[in-house]
Amino acid sequence: MEETVDASAPESMTFGAALAELEEIVKSLESGQLELEDSLGRYERGVSLLRACRAKLADAQQRVTMLVGEIEDEDAE
Amino acid sequence: MAIENTSVSVTEALRRAKSVLETISLTIVGEVSECTVKPGYKAVYFSLSDDSSVLPCLMWRDSYDLCGFALRPGMLVEVSGVFTAYAAKGRMQFQVRRLTAAGEGVLRLQVAALARKLEAEGLMRAERKRELPAFPSKIALVTSPRGKAVHDVIRTLRRRYPVAELLIAGVQVEGEGAVSALTEGIRLAGSHPGVELLILARGGGSYEDLMPFNAEQVARAVAACPVPVVTGIGHEPDDSIADMVADCRASTPTAAAEAAAPATMEIVSRLDAMARLLGKALSHSVIERAHRLRLIAHRPVFRDATCLMSARMLALDSAAEALSRALPVGIGRAAEAVGRSRDVLLRVGPKLTERPRIALGDASRRIAQQGPAFMERATGQWTLQAARLEDLSPLAILARGFAVCYDGAGERVLRSAGDVTAGDRVRVRLAEGELGCVVERADTEV
Repeated sequence: MEETVDASAPESMTFGAALAELEEIVKSLESGQLELEDSLGRYERGVSLLRACRAKLADAQQRVTMLVGEIEDEDAE
Repeated sequence: MAIENTSVSVTEALRRAKSVLETISLTIVGEVSECTVKPGYKAVYFSLSDDSSVLPCLMWRDSYDLCGFALRPGMLVEVSGVFTAYAAKGRMQFQVRRLTAAGEGVLRLQVAALARKLEAEGLMRAERKRELPAFPSKIALVTSPRGKAVHDVIRTLRRRYPVAELLIAGVQVEGEGAVSALTEGIRLAGSHPGVELLILARGGGSYEDLMPFNAEQVARAVAACPVPVVTGIGHEPDDSIADMVADCRASTPTAAAEAAAPATMEIVSRLDAMARLLGKALSHSVIERAHRLRLIAHRPVFRDATCLMSARMLALDSAAEALSRALPVGIGRAAEAVGRSRDVLLRVGPKLTERPRIALGDASRRIAQQGPAFMERATGQWTLQAARLEDLSPLAILARGFAVCYDGAGERVLRSAGDVTAGDRVRVRLAEGELGCVVERADTEV
């Protein structure tokens, strides 16, 4: 796999993108084909992605936007 | 009810049953199963059924002809009439006075026709179905802003996957205007920036209530939606057309939300697994390299650096030793021998060559002086004599056509006719060969 490490901050990534990159990193690390320096870099990136994913899950407050219409306030959850 | 003890005839029994049955007057909705509409018959016979029961019906021909439509199996119809009994067969049946197509029956016919049309266009093909994104960041929901469906979806997504942002298009989903509202809602929400998935939901309702989801426009909006569509429409056993065209069909709004998003629990365990794998992969990679390093560090070179040099040093040493051993003896002896030889050579050499050198010098001087003249002379003589020899050769003369005549013994050359008389033998030598001849005449004067 090429040097296409997405440099964007994990916190600003979508959950899906962060998870996808994380899986890619795990796969590349497991392949054992990387240079040690590259392994370490990826590991660090993986850890920050993992942290970001967990944080997103833990802190997630469902965001609901109305595009059209108004929701009837029948259940006050 | 007490059972009468007095026995009656079969006919009487059926008469009584019939009189009771004929008090039950109803309007019934059912699906036409078998039906027999034949020109010569006085009545039209058919059966109405639902999921668990079948009711034989008859309708007098006159009334049937008046109702103005043709019965066909599969139709949903509404019939009004009374129960009755047909004594000859001992059978109960419903005598239809009024027959109308139930709205739903006609609708189903239309829907089935549309389904066939869209299917023929390939809108329902399995290869058109797109895979749902595993972790959508933004999910659009097109449904009624009122009712249970919208809340079911919101609740389910909040529970399972609060990470996703939810964009709701609250539209009218039944009655007049629902079709265009749904179509517009799907179009707007599906193309909204960032939306990765669209849920089309509707709570349960009657077939008629769900009709907008069977509309061609809605089906085409679903098919044209740029992101995958999951439907969760009603609790109907039958798929709506929207269901058939959608990428994924769930039976209820809640099921649609479940299909649309992964459960947080699953994700958390997946993250845990990934964290383990990440650590393991790195440590494995480090351990593997450390092991390799250790192996290298244990090689002799790194254990004792002098071994790098030792071989060369030994070689040098032995060379030096050999040198120091060889120099005084070998070279000294050779030099001595060479020195001796040189002396001899220097002494003897000139003497050896002096005499021959002088002789050679004389000879070469003489050759140089006399050579050319001698050669010239020799060459001139040789040429001259060769020419004369050629001229003098009798062979050359013979070759020109002359002949030499010898006496019979071949000893004498005959120069005059007088040397022979007629009858003598002579020999004539030609350029090639010899003739033996007998003289016929000998004339001295010619």
